[in-house]
Amino acid sequence: MELVGFLILFPLLSAIALYFIKGNGARKAIVLGSAAVIAFATLVLCIGNVSTPPVFYDFESTIVEVACMVIGVVIGAIVLWFAWKYKNVLAGVLGAVQLVASVVFDLVFAHSVHVAQGLYIDSLSVMMAFIIGIIGSGICVYALGYMEDHVEEHPEQDDRRPLFFALMFLFLSAMFAIVFSNNMTWMFTGWEVTTLCSFLLIGYTRTDEAIANAFRQIIMNIAGGIGFLVALYYCAARMGTLDFNQFIQMGLSAPAVIALPVCALAFAGITKAAQMPFHSWLLGAMVAPTPTSALLHSSTMVKAGVFLLVKLAPLFAISVAPAVMVVLVGGITFTLASFMAISQSNAKRVLAYSTIANLGLIVACAGVGTPEAVWAAMFLILFHAAAKSLLFLCVGTAEHHIGSRDIEDMDLLFERMPQLARNMMVGIMIMFVAPFGMLISKWATLVSFVDNHQVALIVLLAYGSAATFMFWAKWLGKLSGVAGNPDNVEATVHKSEWGAIFTMTTLALVFCIALPWLSFAVVLPYIDGVYHQPVFSLDSDVLALMSILSLAVIIVLVAGSVGGSKKRRVGAYLAGVSVDNLERTYRNSLSQEAKASVRNMYLSDIFGEERVTPVGVVSTTIIIVGAFAAALATMTALL
Amino acid sequence: MDANFLITTIIGTVCFAVLAPVIGCLIDGIDRIVSARMQGRVGPKLLQPYWDVRKLLGKDKVAVSGSEDTYIGLALFFAILAGGIFFSGGNLLLVVFVITLSSLFFIVAAYSTRSPYAEVGAARETLQVMSYEPMVLFMAVAFYQVVGTFDTSGVFLLRHPAICTAWGAFIGLCFVLTIKLRKSPFDISSSHHAHQEIVKGITTEMSGPTLAKVEIMHWCETVLFMGWVGVFFVFSHPISILVAVLVALVIYLFEIWVDNNFARVKWQAMLKWAWIVALVAGGLNVAVLAFI
Repeated sequence: MELVGFLILFPLLSAIALYFIKGNGARKAIVLGSAAVIAFATLVLCIGNVSTPPVFYDFESTIVEVACMVIGVVIGAIVLWFAWKYKNVLAGVLGAVQLVASVVFDLVFAHSVHVAQGLYIDSLSVMMAFIIGIIGSGICVYALGYMEDHVEEHPEQDDRRPLFFALMFLFLSAMFAIVFSNNMTWMFTGWEVTTLCSFLLIGYTRTDEAIANAFRQIIMNIAGGIGFLVALYYCAARMGTLDFNQFIQMGLSAPAVIALPVCALAFAGITKAAQMPFHSWLLGAMVAPTPTSALLHSSTMVKAGVFLLVKLAPLFAISVAPAVMVVLVGGITFTLASFMAISQSNAKRVLAYSTIANLGLIVACAGVGTPEAVWAAMFLILFHAAAKSLLFLCVGTAEHHIGSRDIEDMDLLFERMPQLARNMMVGIMIMFVAPFGMLISKWATLVSFVDNHQVALIVLLAYGSAATFMFWAKWLGKLSGVAGNPDNVEATVHKSEWGAIFTMTTLALVFCIALPWLSFAVVLPYIDGVYHQPVFSLDSDVLALMSILSLAVIIVLVAGSVGGSKKRRVGAYLAGVSVDNLERTYRNSLSQEAKASVRNMYLSDIFGEERVTPVGVVSTTIIIVGAFAAALATMTALL
Repeated sequence: MDANFLITTIIGTVCFAVLAPVIGCLIDGIDRIVSARMQGRVGPKLLQPYWDVRKLLGKDKVAVSGSEDTYIGLALFFAILAGGIFFSGGNLLLVVFVITLSSLFFIVAAYSTRSPYAEVGAARETLQVMSYEPMVLFMAVAFYQVVGTFDTSGVFLLRHPAICTAWGAFIGLCFVLTIKLRKSPFDISSSHHAHQEIVKGITTEMSGPTLAKVEIMHWCETVLFMGWVGVFFVFSHPISILVAVLVALVIYLFEIWVDNNFARVKWQAMLKWAWIVALVAGGLNVAVLAFI
């Protein structure tokens, strides 16, 4: 338990130190040192608790209770201050509602409810801790080099790096609090801290666009936070408990009673996990410096949303209204976000849509709620965290060195930034093809959908996966191009960036190869602890074969690209007399010089945002409203 | 892990690697003769595809991109592995994913040349994969619903062939087969004729031994896809295997007939129809099977 407490408190202390110490060298030392300490502590925690059954720690603390209340008030005050400063009425109203509601809750309701076991640890929180502690702190290290370039490139903006790094570490602390708290009030505090951190990080550059997008984020997530509060009120007032585990156990024996709080919590999870109709905040978050996006997309923020939903999965299996909401919102989001990713040429936007889509799949799995679906959901979380952080870091570094984040401009990246292109290609392949992790997880997802007769989800998955192939394959193809000898611009990449990128690549590949072991040692113990029954989704044979194939593909790709070919090189066919084959210029039929260039297909007439978004927003809104109506009806019937 | 499974897969893959090119080559030979007769020509000899590939293997080794050959090698390997898993009774969904991986490497090989015509071909091939993928997944799901397992060996325990209840998925499969085999009207990424608007499309820059590997890969793919067709007809009765082979042949002849009688369509039409057919034939079939 000391280690759990350390992981929550230590990043908080680092954050405070980083905020007040302005020196460049000192900051570097603190970030590197803290990241190392967090990573080490996380590893100790994970190794010491491999395959742990759920363990609940007896821990009550008035200090923590008071701290939570103070933090709640401070968050509310900050939101109100910004709402007043930028004249955003909606944010102000929501912030005020939340401030009052949470203070009333803390003073009136939470007072009478005692949670004896405030903290806990189980295999899921161990896995989440690994993601937060290793991937999250890796991103913080990457940010050192990135932000140096960022400050150089944007001399017009104030250098506010102390705040930036403080927020990054505060984020980690809040995430640890979410995954280790059994006391729902504490969890809620962590939840709100992540909302505020991402608000400030998205608005970091203080451009008009950044501020508008930051407000969009805070409005949607405070709405989700109010949903969380509704559940807290219900739990405290009607069920007399704020113990998360107890809440789930009570729900399992009386599904009708918890329909409303589960709906409310699921709503909070859906907003945080950027599901339709709330997906736009995550797209808007792109304006922030890339490490922020990496952090939001891979190891924090959105992962808090799906974490909560996976925790609630056993309840979805028995409670119809929230389950239908979560399953359909997740499924529709997966398919439509994958469609829209086809139409994007901005690499960060493709990544954002892919994140939204994969989160949709995780949300749908959680909604199905069977052991098999949870197995798939956990693997999706793990592989997505590793591969997506890697991709964001690669895109961030590429952007600083080729001056663009457009996929079309990544032509010839393989020659200009060979190492980076290879890392990026590995990340992309892990995201969508066999034998790598994400596809195995999707496979398990499909099996769990079929076994549960979720026909709508099968259909959504089939079309969404087809779209997924399209948008990744064309990006991968663009990267693979080799021709000519353009300047290598890779030499100026910061060491801290390489360190983080190679760590992510190694992690992602190790996950793929160690998949059978991960299933046995991490995922199955959690499922066993929750469901007390074995899982039969994918044969261990198949997992082992995939593990072997992953290794084989990696070796061949590395060897193939290192060895080089002994074949005689010839120019490409240009249907004319080549003038300069490397530049792809040729003499056309009018004896003029012409350049042959090809762009990928984006099919925006079919999959453009303006066509697809309304469909998603309208349908998911109807589903969410319908589910709440059904849950309210259930509650009134009980009264 | 169960060593038997690995050994079965390896033996199956080796057998497939030896037999599939032979069978695929013969099918290709028949294809050319039948096509020629439909067009009022005599056509080449049955073994012409074999001689073509032998000639390719003997040609100079030239390449536009250094990594193209590695990618094609991987594509061929995974096509053979997919066939091996399928015919040794392995997991059908795994087969689907492995053959998709093979297609991906084929696409990336074309992209790696940065040749305008090859790139257009590769982009269109990506579209072809996106078009047929939903139906292929529905087929695997329907198979699972009928047989109770994704393992193709499960069909030998059936009392009725899968076609009895999964005929919707079968029709859908036949439709997307035309796309998978790159036959007209869906030969938009690379037709058999080099005179289309994108020259030879995806294989524009592949030559000599590399192109030979591509040809062998197509033979393997053809055999595998015919296996998908046949597996719908196999059940516990031994004679059903013969029926399956005959049906596969009939379906292939039908594909040749389609190839010769329909003009190439635009990709918009391909995507639209492939997805509609997948939803109506595959999706409905899966829905019905889920609720009976």
